[in-house]
Amino acid sequence: MAAMEEDNGEFYLRYYVGHRGKFGHEFLEFEFRPDGKLRYANNSNYKNDTMIRKEVFLTAAVLKECRRIISESEIMKEDDNNWPEPDRVGRQELEIVMGNEHISFTTSKIGSLVDVHSSQDPEGLRIFYYLVQDLKMLSVGSLNEAGAFANPFHAGHESS
Amino acid sequence: MANTEAEAVDFEPEDDDLMDEDGAVDVDASSSPRAPLPKLKSAITGGSAPSLSAPKKTKGRGFREEVDAERQSRLSGRGFDSLGSDGGPGPQRSVEGWIILVSGVHEEAQEDHLQDAFGEFGEIKNLHLNLDRRTGFVKGYALIEYEKFEQAENAIASMNGGTLLEQAIYVDWAFSNGPSNGGFKRKNMRPGRTHRSRSPRRRY
Repeated sequence: MAAMEEDNGEFYLRYYVGHRGKFGHEFLEFEFRPDGKLRYANNSNYKNDTMIRKEVFLTAAVLKECRRIISESEIMKEDDNNWPEPDRVGRQELEIVMGNEHISFTTSKIGSLVDVHSSQDPEGLRIFYYLVQDLKMLSVGSLNEAGAFANPFHAGHESS
Repeated sequence: MANTEAEAVDFEPEDDDLMDEDGAVDVDASSSPRAPLPKLKSAITGGSAPSLSAPKKTKGRGFREEVDAERQSRLSGRGFDSLGSDGGPGPQRSVEGWIILVSGVHEEAQEDHLQDAFGEFGEIKNLHLNLDRRTGFVKGYALIEYEKFEQAENAIASMNGGTLLEQAIYVDWAFSNGPSNGGFKRKNMRPGRTHRSRSPRRRY
């Protein structure tokens, strides 16, 4: 279960998903910094679309909720050893510092649960798969709430 | 644009600003799909995040890859549209209103439950009750938007530590005006509980 120490100590999170293709380097990336700053970048070159870069300061309450979600997912107990390696199709990165643990996982894009089930570590990859979606909801959702996106379509540019 | 109302602030260039323009990065990256993939290195040690202390137990392939300047520049430097801020402590207004976070929300809660509990402090302009992507149950938090600062402030003062569906909930501002350090929670709250008549409207 979630350790009680989740409230204490350091916290940092970064997630990246992207690929390089005919439209260049397209990616979505966000990070939660220790000081509460949430940064978000989404680059799509399709139809000359430009980079979207937003930032907002979150309160400790939101960071705490983020930590809870991570803690309950038990992602820190996983390892990316047997996950599909990043490839031409794409790449995901998840970096988290929580307490005295620091993970930096990489894997390919995950199209659907089929990819999860057919991998060599379906249980670990499933945790990753769902956690990423929950974190995306929290980060993009927060920014959306803050009014960061004039056009809600932007929130969905690049996805895993 | 969102920023016309929310006071876009160019944030200061930072020491770690490796690239001035993100556009420059993509030019050569896009020239070949076989261009090296971004190499990951700890954003903490190499990036712009404040340096953290204490040795960490590390795990993952990301640590075995090399540093990549482009990777480190993606989320550093300037060019981010910033919501806010006047730099001082205190909650941050969003474009439309004031947003509060409700945590500890029961997994079977419905929007109606929140509407009933929080509607009495003012009209709820937006309510987001996100679901757990795996279970389909409520993830445990909700974001609620009020038009007026006082409404949000009252909701926080009245509902924080209260219960919803027999479960304790915690209510606080979602956004703040600036960086915070450990134990900043109180600082981020207006002294609303004891001086509720105070209504320091910001420049909006």
